[in-house]
Amino acid sequence: MSLGFDGLGAAFFDGDSPEPQEVSLHIADGMLQIGLDHGPTLRWPVEDIRQLPDLAGNAGVVLRLTTDPVARLYLTDHAVLSHLPHLTRRAPPKGRGRLAAWALAAVAAVAVQIGFLIPLLADNLAGFIPPEGERALGEATFGQIREALDDTGLNPLPICEQPDGTAAIDRLVTRLGGARDFDRDVTVFVLDHPMVNAFALPGGFVVLFRGLIDAADGPDEVAAVLAHEIGHVISSDPTRHALRSAGSIGILGLLFGDFAGGAAVLLLTERLISAQYSQAAEKGADDFAHALLAQAGINPGALGDMFASMKAEYGDAEGVVAHFLSHPSLDERIQASRAVVDQDASYQASMTPQDWAALQNICNPAAS
Amino acid sequence: MGVEFTGRRGALFWLALKTGFFSILTLGFYRFWMKTRLRRWYWSAMRPGGHPLEYVGDPLEKLLGFFIAVVILTFYIGIVNLLLMFASFSVFNSSALGYVASFAGVIPLWFYARYRARRYVLARTRWRGVRFGLERGAWGYAIRALWYWFLTIVTLGALWPRMTFLLEKYKTDRTFFGSARMLQGGRWQMLYRAAAPFIAALIVLLGTGLWLFWLDPVFATGFENGAAVVEAVDGFFEGRMPVDNWSSPERLLLIPLALSGLLFGAIYYRWVSKRIMAQHKMAPGIQFDSQLSGVRVTFIYVLGNFIAYVMLVLGLVAMIFLGAFMFSDSLLFLTDMPGAQTALSLPRWVSIVLLAVMYLVFFLMWGVLYNTFVTFPLMRHMALTTSLPVTAGLPLISQRDRDAFAEAEGFAEALDLGAAI
Repeated sequence: MSLGFDGLGAAFFDGDSPEPQEVSLHIADGMLQIGLDHGPTLRWPVEDIRQLPDLAGNAGVVLRLTTDPVARLYLTDHAVLSHLPHLTRRAPPKGRGRLAAWALAAVAAVAVQIGFLIPLLADNLAGFIPPEGERALGEATFGQIREALDDTGLNPLPICEQPDGTAAIDRLVTRLGGARDFDRDVTVFVLDHPMVNAFALPGGFVVLFRGLIDAADGPDEVAAVLAHEIGHVISSDPTRHALRSAGSIGILGLLFGDFAGGAAVLLLTERLISAQYSQAAEKGADDFAHALLAQAGINPGALGDMFASMKAEYGDAEGVVAHFLSHPSLDERIQASRAVVDQDASYQASMTPQDWAALQNICNPAAS
Repeated sequence: MGVEFTGRRGALFWLALKTGFFSILTLGFYRFWMKTRLRRWYWSAMRPGGHPLEYVGDPLEKLLGFFIAVVILTFYIGIVNLLLMFASFSVFNSSALGYVASFAGVIPLWFYARYRARRYVLARTRWRGVRFGLERGAWGYAIRALWYWFLTIVTLGALWPRMTFLLEKYKTDRTFFGSARMLQGGRWQMLYRAAAPFIAALIVLLGTGLWLFWLDPVFATGFENGAAVVEAVDGFFEGRMPVDNWSSPERLLLIPLALSGLLFGAIYYRWVSKRIMAQHKMAPGIQFDSQLSGVRVTFIYVLGNFIAYVMLVLGLVAMIFLGAFMFSDSLLFLTDMPGAQTALSLPRWVSIVLLAVMYLVFFLMWGVLYNTFVTFPLMRHMALTTSLPVTAGLPLISQRDRDAFAEAEGFAEALDLGAAI
């Protein structure tokens, strides 16, 4: 039995010439018979016929044969379609092994880059940047941070520089340094911001927030944080981190392409990477601070006390969230710090009461 | 032979929304499928002589190409960026040079990738079963593009039409439909016609500037420094008109007007130059013609972008409010609202995830609206205004070989050129 269809408007393209050929269409014996008006009748097995997907409009359909990559049949009579059973069946994907190999290579290339080559290069090159270069890098970053933290969006966050307060900081740095002279390597700034935090930047910039001084329970805790940040400066962690970011940000931008602007994913991932980096560096800086404090005759447990008050302020972050914060779990660090306290030693306060008072008022012009 | 355009906006909207949604769900990996499906749809909507164009690109080959490009480019971009940053701080004590150099290093690659992407798309485009194709020559294109850009910059833009024309000619003369090679006829000087509105707008802008700040200055006394300007603008928006020594400041409105003219001129040039060049494209026994309207295209751009950006801005404002609400205790007036306490007591990471999802959704909506209100009407206008007045050469054409092209448009995708269809 043979079924006939409307061939009006239908056209066959043989895959060689762009000339449409008029056709008559029948289905018989499981074959779509395509009768060319000026030529032979072609027979396409109905189960091997596929329909081109995502065609715009309802004006027609395009059919192809799985065994012929180029021949096309353009139809306007949709009644044919119900007789073709596998119109949307997909061909088994070709070259899966090749795809998997390149996928693996891409993942490996990125992993080697971010996890090994870039850190290696950054760590080695960080030592070769001349001090002026590091300072320029630090100044640029410091400026950006001051602008980013400002709520009004007009002026950069002010630096606190009451003379008595800065003199107190200078004396503290000298005392922490002892025989080693930190004065040339380290520049300390206090920013007028309520955040309980401190950080180091390339070029020996150490930045304390006013919030940290306010939250500190006595001068030793500030001294401990300062010693910790000096530890970062001495091992040039900030410079490495800056170089490392420069390399890895470009790569991550490459990976995520223009997908949703990429920025959000980028930021999140970069944060993850730097957090992993920082955990080792934080531990090193903690150890450095313990040694420095003990050597200057200041109670190294003060670092733990500072962390304890930070924890009281913000709570501890553990689990998933901890991974995204740059600091390892505070509890571990508090314990580590208290463990190095020598019960027999006689520690002295890091500052005189006058100096401590001056530091507490460093952001307060009325006090002096 | 005319070109028809079938397909409705609504259908495209759903296709873009669906595929964009999958892209977000798969952290961007579905974007290769999204792009393929959207192209299939657009291509099949354009029907010269009533028969649809066909896009036969395969998402998996795009994915493969992307992996290949990642392998090659990670080393280039990661190491080069790091070294440039190091060099610029070691030698010049500033980061600006590093950024400029790392940007400049990518420019030749960018042109290279553009040509390769075009070659891939043409190699995967068919009409009436016959393949299009583009000959090799990506580095030649990149070198020429750099040279023409250099000449354009050196001549302050006077040779811009020459660059537009010669680059288009380079590509067109290497384009095939089956066995037929295309040819870009005409001369580059003919494109100055398309630049007329831009030049006029530029003259008006310069004249306005001259009039407002030199011949009859609005600010007769001038400003002492930047702070005074901010002060004056603040005052203006707070309803104070403190400055009685300003002479008719309403003339300042001419500046945005002239700038809009400049924007119109730029869009007009881009598209009308395409039209003029299309009118001079040919193949053996085939002629092209285009009646594209620069004004219409500008209208589509302005309206479509307005719709898409309104959506984006509304979304971002909503996000900022939500963010402020979740992360700050200072918006106390909100705590009285029903449900506020639940929202405030959410763990911080839940809020972050919520914001991230919102961010992605708004960018998805922006993309969908851009497709629906910019790309769709542009494609339709381009299709309907294009025609082939002479087609006598068609029967002489036969099929060409397949261009295997392993890396597909991987470089373009990785270098962020993928935004254009």
